[in-house]
Amino acid sequence: MDLAFSAADDAFRDEVRTWLAENAPTERRPRSGQAARDFDLGWQRKMYDAGWGGVAWPVAYGGRDLPLTQQLIWYEEYARTGLRPIDTRFVGLAHAGPTLMARATPEQRTFHLEKILRGDVVWCQGFSEPEAGSDLASLRTRAVVDGDELVVTGQKIWTSYADVADWQELLVRTNPDVPKHKGITWVICDMRLPGIDVRPIRTMDGGADFNEVFYDEVRIPLTNVVGDIDEGWSVAMSTLSFERGTAFTISQVQLASSVERLIEMARRRTSINGTPVITDGALAERLARARADCAALRALTYLGISKNARSDQPGPEGSMMKLQYADVAKRIYRLGIEILGARSLAIPDDEDDTEWVDRHLLAFSSSIGGGTSEIQRNIIGERVLGLPR
Amino acid sequence: MDLLPSPEQSEVIESSRSFLAARMSTARTRALFEAGTTPAVDPSAWSAAAELGWFALGLPVAHDGIGGGLVDEALLFREIGRAATPGPFVSTVLAARVAAFGGVASLAEEITSGRRVGLAVTGSTPRDVQLIDASDGLVLLVTPQRASIVEVAALDGVTTVPCVDPTVHLQRAVAPSGLMSVATVASVESDVDPIERRANVLIAATLTGISEWARDTSAEHAKHRVQFDRAIGVNQAIKHPCADSAVQAQLAYAQFLFAALAIDEGRPDAELQALNAFVTAAAAAEFATATTVQVLGGMGFTHEHDAHLYVKRVALWSQTLGGTPSRLSRLLAQPEPA
Repeated sequence: MDLAFSAADDAFRDEVRTWLAENAPTERRPRSGQAARDFDLGWQRKMYDAGWGGVAWPVAYGGRDLPLTQQLIWYEEYARTGLRPIDTRFVGLAHAGPTLMARATPEQRTFHLEKILRGDVVWCQGFSEPEAGSDLASLRTRAVVDGDELVVTGQKIWTSYADVADWQELLVRTNPDVPKHKGITWVICDMRLPGIDVRPIRTMDGGADFNEVFYDEVRIPLTNVVGDIDEGWSVAMSTLSFERGTAFTISQVQLASSVERLIEMARRRTSINGTPVITDGALAERLARARADCAALRALTYLGISKNARSDQPGPEGSMMKLQYADVAKRIYRLGIEILGARSLAIPDDEDDTEWVDRHLLAFSSSIGGGTSEIQRNIIGERVLGLPR
Repeated sequence: MDLLPSPEQSEVIESSRSFLAARMSTARTRALFEAGTTPAVDPSAWSAAAELGWFALGLPVAHDGIGGGLVDEALLFREIGRAATPGPFVSTVLAARVAAFGGVASLAEEITSGRRVGLAVTGSTPRDVQLIDASDGLVLLVTPQRASIVEVAALDGVTTVPCVDPTVHLQRAVAPSGLMSVATVASVESDVDPIERRANVLIAATLTGISEWARDTSAEHAKHRVQFDRAIGVNQAIKHPCADSAVQAQLAYAQFLFAALAIDEGRPDAELQALNAFVTAAAAAEFATATTVQVLGGMGFTHEHDAHLYVKRVALWSQTLGGTPSRLSRLLAQPEPA
């Protein structure tokens, strides 16, 4: 066992830190829409040109295929740039791309993978439906084979970036007469096909990235099916497990740095009675716990990466990290609001203050998106502890 | 960076587990304290542990130790916690270090060969002292600044009193001019060797082992106990606290490994990591053992089930050298983690 990184890894960290310091965008990212897409894809293209487009992607598809320890280093350093962990590139790079690598035909891979890595396209995810949230396999968006096409009719929801996406990883019901996991198909959907209607959903944090997507007899070529017809559940499962990999490090490191900034803020700012906020014992205890929670989350990340580096079977740390992160993030950003005090009521014009209000509101989604905390607890209870379903 | 035990470390973990099951089971512990023997550990088993090198494991070879890291000691203490093993393991291991680094090699040798050293903690006033498992006449005194070994005979009014934890030998004593001014047999300043920091990690490892026992015991019961015609573990009101126990135990495990390695490798944030090891493990152990009692229902509240032995170990270790609040204050005062 050791905590220290090798000399080669330290040199790698220096290289990454220097490159990011010189190249990462410093201007504020536009909040949503086409401008956000242009910002994200421009940044992806810059990373691609310098060989940083896909640190976890195989070399065969233009990635670096870094060992897990160096991926960890990359994400730790990336986190320092302050760039958000999830943007319009996320589904392509972390979901659809890896799924295509694992399950797509050579033609499909050749057509799509390089475009994703080069920052030419945005992908979105068509999984959840109004009646299929945590129970994803009960999805009902219907697809019927007609000649050499799938004809899709139905509705998806919570589709981030559908308004600016070129492609979608879409789950459809191709056979309603078999058990629910068996009649699902995973298909590549061109978001510009006739019959697709994208409607925005405003969220409580003021965000405009969420959408509903409606499909009215949308005709998708059968050549876009990945895996076989009715085999989409197993294709989708390979996608979901990729989501809990090393990339989570960015969120974890940024949360820890948020806590350090909160501690700074609490030392600098005074409360209503004129004393520094940090001298309030109750707030100080919560700040200390926040720092403690972040340190433990980091230790868990290191433990998870150590295990995954030696085994193809990811350990339970993925679900544990997601669950714990959501809980800790909600507490920490709530604490940010308390340190701001009544200043957090007005929509602030101070950029620093705005960020805390935004993050506090956004944190409510951390225990819902990508599998709710309740579902994570079920997964841990059943798959780690062997409790009955 | 690698937080997985090596094959050698795994072997040590396995063999210590079998040793504890064979020689220091809770059945044996119960027989001992019910016969009035405290600390409730066989002297012969203690000697056997000494022969296995348990008290010299992390001591440098230059001090006639085995030369392992704090991480090796911590992995052993996790097993001691998991087995609810009574006896002054933490204070004895640390005392061997204090004797060695304090220049009293003969005492170090005596301790690593099987002389037990208890723990002295302050009572209600600085004059009042409580002695934990000090039946062999020596106690360790630990503060963040230094650690010392003191003879029980140097204290006044030593009386044995019953302890909430039935496995513990508890005494009260008086140090007329304060515990800090009692003559010491050996002493080490923290800048020479940070004993309190190591204590935090060893206690954290013990509490983590307890959390893991509690996690497994809750889950096992939830799998097999049938009510309303189904195993109670199907209910999320049972399943989710079990899952939370697993998460907290894993956080505690990862954090004590991180802290032990931070100390072994001399990282600048070692103090913060060690304080957090304690804080994280104490929270995990309190939650997981309380969950076990609740999941077990009436059985969990009995004297017959082992759950209370674990609950009482948690109470002991989460309070003995100061609790979570004082460590949180120190943690917040530390510089930003490296």
